[in-house]
Amino acid sequence: MTQAADTVLIVEDEAPMRRFLSAALQSHGFRVVEANTLSTAQRLAVEQHPDAILLDLGLPDGDGLSLVRDLRTWSSAPVIVLSARDREDDKVTALDAGADDYLTKPFGTSELLARIRVALRHARAQRVPDDPVLAVGAIKIDQARHEVSVDDGAVHLTPIEYRLLVMLARHAGKVLTHKQLLHEVWGPRTHHTHYLRVHMAALRRKIERDPARPRWITTEPGVGYRLLDR
Amino acid sequence: MTDSRPLRAPPRAYVIAIVAVAGATLVGQIAAPYTSHADQAMVYLLAILVAALGGRGPGLTAAVLSAAAFDFFFVEPYHTFAVTDRSFLITFGVMLAIGVAIGSLVNRIRVAEAESRERELRAKAEQLRSTLLSSVSHDLRTPLAVITGMATSLRDGAVGEQREELDTIVGEAQRLSRILTNLLSITKVETGAQPKREWVPLDELIGSSLARLDNELADHPLTLDVADELAHVDPILTEQLLVNLVENAAKHTPAGCAIRVHARRDGNAAMIEVSDAGPGLPAGPPEQVFEKFFRGRGVKPGGVGLGLAVCRAIALAHGGRIAASPGPSSGAVFRVWFPDDGAPPKLADEPELARAV
Repeated sequence: MTQAADTVLIVEDEAPMRRFLSAALQSHGFRVVEANTLSTAQRLAVEQHPDAILLDLGLPDGDGLSLVRDLRTWSSAPVIVLSARDREDDKVTALDAGADDYLTKPFGTSELLARIRVALRHARAQRVPDDPVLAVGAIKIDQARHEVSVDDGAVHLTPIEYRLLVMLARHAGKVLTHKQLLHEVWGPRTHHTHYLRVHMAALRRKIERDPARPRWITTEPGVGYRLLDR
Repeated sequence: MTDSRPLRAPPRAYVIAIVAVAGATLVGQIAAPYTSHADQAMVYLLAILVAALGGRGPGLTAAVLSAAAFDFFFVEPYHTFAVTDRSFLITFGVMLAIGVAIGSLVNRIRVAEAESRERELRAKAEQLRSTLLSSVSHDLRTPLAVITGMATSLRDGAVGEQREELDTIVGEAQRLSRILTNLLSITKVETGAQPKREWVPLDELIGSSLARLDNELADHPLTLDVADELAHVDPILTEQLLVNLVENAAKHTPAGCAIRVHARRDGNAAMIEVSDAGPGLPAGPPEQVFEKFFRGRGVKPGGVGLGLAVCRAIALAHGGRIAASPGPSSGAVFRVWFPDDGAPPKLADEPELARAV
């Protein structure tokens, strides 16, 4: 269901990694442009107008983060950061700077394609008006009536839990950082991540059959949360 | 005081103090016909100043010696320590005061210098450690990521035996990646990286750990008993600890063997317990399983014996502890405690959303 040749810009300095990404994407119908430095990436982003960008943060001629910041001043093309497990701070900085999602190395083709598809879908959905009913998997949110159901059973949420769920559902499939969720629900001045964690735990206890093995709201340790859409 | 090293002046400084005072006396004697008491006192002050640059001890020594020498050689009656003119007592006092004041100042500067040098060294070591860790991590992870990625690409188009072989490549690359994560975590924690502690619900800690173990837990029924309570821990390190504990239980028990995860607050600590009904701990003291590179007998080949050592390192970094014991009837029980101030933050209860409009 990929539209005719979406273009993906791969920004990665390791040639073998670039080869893998490029081959995997091309075999699934994407058009690929590659950059191995920050300056090439900046040029190609302008010339090629990619539909999505895969970005390794550690580049030889500068920090990939500056590309995210620069890009966000003129483009809304989704950026997916490629990072390692122990670089949570980098991921959070990149996401808060405007990156859309991340992939933790090592990852397989199916994860790669799933992330890109979610990112492309969200990029396109921004252009269509909101439906008052949000449906993600078994979860239905009627925004006009403020009603939530899971598997057609009504669930009663507090205002904070409701706002958290709506925010997650609007970005279904995509990671949201602690900061993004805190900002949305409590405003710009709250930085107490434990508020968020406690309310999220309460929300899970209402939505999930087994809150310690969540089916829908997954934790991205050190980063934030993601509402699964499959 | 344990850190008196920068305060103690070297013997050389005392020799300088004595020589300076002797020099001042000599200069005073030679110039005596042309100078007054005030001039001689100034020469001694110069000697005290020079000596005090060596610290408070030499400064004080020079001041006492100067006062004595000045009195002995230049104050009537000569060649006695008697003082007829009381005004000289002020001169002696000033000498002592200057010796002590300048000496103390020098001491304080030295201590501050030593401290800043130490801070600098520590910062440099920290910087080096994190650079080393991140470059090792990057250099090993990139090839692993390429192997995993390409193998999954090939697997998608493969069938039958070839597909199984590619599955094995992917699985082994992932295992290597987990070993690497363990190696990096233990290095990080053991070289003094401090846990970044936050209040985290037990549900969340256990949920995010189990999410990483779908393959390992495929053959093991899981029972969860998790209280709606908080732990004060570094979420990333704790996740690593729990992944290792549960993975250890899955690895050392036969397929079909149940694993139970139980978590609750226990006094001023959060306690997490992972138990199984498998063959139990290896013979010997239970603590041996936390030793680095320890491997139980009859374990499937391939483990490096780091998982539980990482668990212990992470528990200790939190000021906590971990214990292994035999299960009530069979199996093994691992318990870990994360102590805190016993005051998890409480949030105000919120009314449920008013329904319908």
